[in-house]
Amino acid sequence: MSDMTEDTDRLGALRRWALILVPYLWLLGLFLVPFIIVLKISVSDIALAIPPYAPTLDLSQGWQGLRDFLGKLDFENYIFLTQDDLYWKAYLSSLRIAVVATVLTLLVGFPVAHAMARAPEEWRPTLMMLVILPFWTSFLIRVYAWIGILSGEGYLNQFLMALGVIDSPLTILNTPVAVYIGIVYTYLPFMILPIYATLEKMDDSLIEAAEDLGCTRLQSFWLVTLPLARPGIIAGCFLVFIPTLGEFVIPSLLGGSNTLMVGKVLWDEFFQNRDWPVASAVAVILLLLIILPVVLFQRNQERQGEAGK
Amino acid sequence: MTGGAPQVFAPWDDPKAKPLIEFRGVTKRFGDFTAVDAIDLNIYPREFFALLGPSGCGKTTLMRMLAGFETPTEGHILLDGKDLAAVPPNRRAVNMMFQSYALFPHLTVYDNIAFGLKRSDMPKSEIDGRVTEMLKLVQLGPFAKRKPHQISGGQRQRVALARALAKAPKLLLLDEPLAALDKKLRHDTQFELMDIQEKTGTTFVIVTHDQEEAMTVASRIAVMKDGRLLQVSTPPQIYENPNSAYVADFIGDVTIINGTAEPHPDGYAVHWAEGQAPLVVRSPLTLSSGQACHLAIRPEKVDVSKTRPEDDNVVKGEVIDIAYLGNLSTFHVRLPGGQMLKAQKFNTEHSARKEITWGDEIWLSWSDECAVLLDR
Amino acid sequence: MRRLSWFNVTSLTLGFAFLYVPMLILIVYSFNESKLVTVWAGFSTKWYGELFRNEAFLDAAGVTLRVAFISATIATVLGTMAAYVMVRGGRFFGRTLFSGMIYAPLVMPEVITGLSLLLLFIAIGLDRGVLTIVLAHTTFAMCYVSVVVSSRLVTFDRSVEEAALDLGCTPFDAFRSVTLPIIAPAVISGWLLAFTLSLDDLVIASFTAGPSATTLPIKIFSSVRLGVSPEINALSTILIAIVATGVITASLVSKRAIARQRQDQRAAVAGA
Repeated sequence: MSDMTEDTDRLGALRRWALILVPYLWLLGLFLVPFIIVLKISVSDIALAIPPYAPTLDLSQGWQGLRDFLGKLDFENYIFLTQDDLYWKAYLSSLRIAVVATVLTLLVGFPVAHAMARAPEEWRPTLMMLVILPFWTSFLIRVYAWIGILSGEGYLNQFLMALGVIDSPLTILNTPVAVYIGIVYTYLPFMILPIYATLEKMDDSLIEAAEDLGCTRLQSFWLVTLPLARPGIIAGCFLVFIPTLGEFVIPSLLGGSNTLMVGKVLWDEFFQNRDWPVASAVAVILLLLIILPVVLFQRNQERQGEAGK
Repeated sequence: MTGGAPQVFAPWDDPKAKPLIEFRGVTKRFGDFTAVDAIDLNIYPREFFALLGPSGCGKTTLMRMLAGFETPTEGHILLDGKDLAAVPPNRRAVNMMFQSYALFPHLTVYDNIAFGLKRSDMPKSEIDGRVTEMLKLVQLGPFAKRKPHQISGGQRQRVALARALAKAPKLLLLDEPLAALDKKLRHDTQFELMDIQEKTGTTFVIVTHDQEEAMTVASRIAVMKDGRLLQVSTPPQIYENPNSAYVADFIGDVTIINGTAEPHPDGYAVHWAEGQAPLVVRSPLTLSSGQACHLAIRPEKVDVSKTRPEDDNVVKGEVIDIAYLGNLSTFHVRLPGGQMLKAQKFNTEHSARKEITWGDEIWLSWSDECAVLLDR
Repeated sequence: MRRLSWFNVTSLTLGFAFLYVPMLILIVYSFNESKLVTVWAGFSTKWYGELFRNEAFLDAAGVTLRVAFISATIATVLGTMAAYVMVRGGRFFGRTLFSGMIYAPLVMPEVITGLSLLLLFIAIGLDRGVLTIVLAHTTFAMCYVSVVVSSRLVTFDRSVEEAALDLGCTPFDAFRSVTLPIIAPAVISGWLLAFTLSLDDLVIASFTAGPSATTLPIKIFSSVRLGVSPEINALSTILIAIVATGVITASLVSKRAIARQRQDQRAAVAGA
């Protein structure tokens, strides 16, 4: 009897370890190790070889091999990033685009989320579905749709010229404006949903109470609705800001050569220049840039969770 | 209820008294649904007025029209003789205490109370004094810096009250103010509310579905059903002289006996069952002979005894159920013909010696003044 | 009872117009006769025909579906395991690192994920092809699955599992016969999310795909770089139609399920 319990116990423990180890090892091998490789290559030198960097770790030489390997590493690539102004311009430009685009998305998304939360209850699931649907639709296609709209002979220019608003076509495609439009368009659901979630939870009588105590509509919006929507606004802004920083598809399809963004620089460095060490260094810096907002975001989420209790 | 006054407080009986609030033929419809149906009602200054009724009777809609969150479909509402129709909620000298309290979760207790004052033309220097005064009134001084989620339910209720009273409104609306509190706290708070109402001299209109609460706090009660006012009167009047079986049944415990009336010296005799003596009752109503009627009898008006007593009405029945409530017991007694009658008896003796038990044949009796005759 | 103010109506109208007009334009112009995409020249379905004769597109679509199906399935298994470990696993060595590795890929820029995986595959000498894309997609999709599943695991009543244990289940039995059926909807939506993410992915696939395997997004991207093409419009229309059908069906099904649940509850109350 006790043997059997022991057996099932051992089996249970085994299963528990299998349950932990399988996903654990997978992530170690395919997430952590690759990232360590990136770190390592970022301190290596470019070489005309396959793979195109040096040194490579040669473990057959034993301890000496490791020493040689470590001795050849340096921060040359990072120094190079600070010297060539292409890179820091790209980082700054990415930051600026991400900030401006986040603010624009907020300005477009907030009124929509607010109106959804005010809409009759029986409409809300449908409205939710309409916000989520584009999210499931191919990102690439949604960005692509704007090429036809914004190009010189595109639908927007045709429309505006037909209305007589403009005489000659506007140049929008391949400018930062097109990038902003693309980001606002593709990331809008990420802004709407968290704001809607906080506004929908809000008790209507709070607004009535504010009006009852002498607020005009606008005052009650500023003094009650907006402060209460803050957690949603913060969450939405992070959800737009973080992926936008490393965005590649939108600047490369809509931004043309005028728009510098890190994601695109990294891509070109890797595929066009085949300078893997520099591409890796670009990646490491980009990641450092992203860590700060991610940590702030996590804090916000935790605080929100606590307030929810 | 304002018992200390030298004169009885009853402006509704004084034809010269000027009402604070006048409803004139007010109707409110939502689509096909009529929430409030052609209501005429006056509410006087310093009253503690209760709107009482089951959920969906229109009492909340009536209150929300006073606050300005709904506009009447027809009719007019006057405050101090002036039509309120064009005045938005934020301009009305009316404040509301919400059922959910609607405290602003992002503001402290202090800032919640100061919220309305900051929106008024009160000079900044006076606001602090007023808030402190309000905090003292509801005994929340030490909690001024807390956020709403850091205080108890009873304290939140008091913050809501203080916030609504801070602007010294002419009229304070209370939407089920005590519904979220547990029973014990609710009782204490009822007296506190009355106390505060008397101190501030503000007119209170309270919406409630709890008849006991309405009876306790109100100077007058309006019983509502299906958007209409069934009866508007003082608590004793409503209890002792309900004008319909519905009101009698809604307020307190009652037995309603159906029968036919026949004029009798000083009132009517009600025939209620084959082969039983009619029940006699005094009544100001004029009913024709043989007209169908209800007889409403409050259980505490019925005497219970084991031997046949002498009284205007005496019936015999069998005890089916006894509800022992501590201070009193309610007997559910089956009369000949199956009619059930409730009777109450104070437990002045020790329970071990209580003499009546299930299945006993007992006598029930009451005088002809104690029942109420209602037409059908 | 509540009416929307004109401001809210305007916000909704403009907001949803902004979200949907670009897609509608794509759909309309996919039926355009002309090769010049921005000039309307009459109704035609010829681009759909062209599309279905385009071997390269069809091959890419086949690869994409295969990759998406396999990686979504593996990611769902791994992600569900990871979620269970995170929520119910208790303490174990390296738990913080584990949860870090679950959340990090969600915020990791795709270019970095793609680059790092490519460097790994080269370092271990793995030829790039369908396998490497599957490995890459599985890795980032499993993190999304585990977030979806763990949010469900957190909200459901633990005592149900405890009741199963109390009635004699082993922890594994309890998981299989009680937990899994309860979290099934989350597992299914996790799979759908993983599937869509894989279908959608351009950046990571570009890094990890070799000459032997090209996915549809890679194909679309390289042709779109040259400008708008009516064939891509037709392809987009088909993809949008599939997604719309899926999402609308799912929402109708869940709506009906909720309605049925309410009805059952009402019937139960009435019966009691």
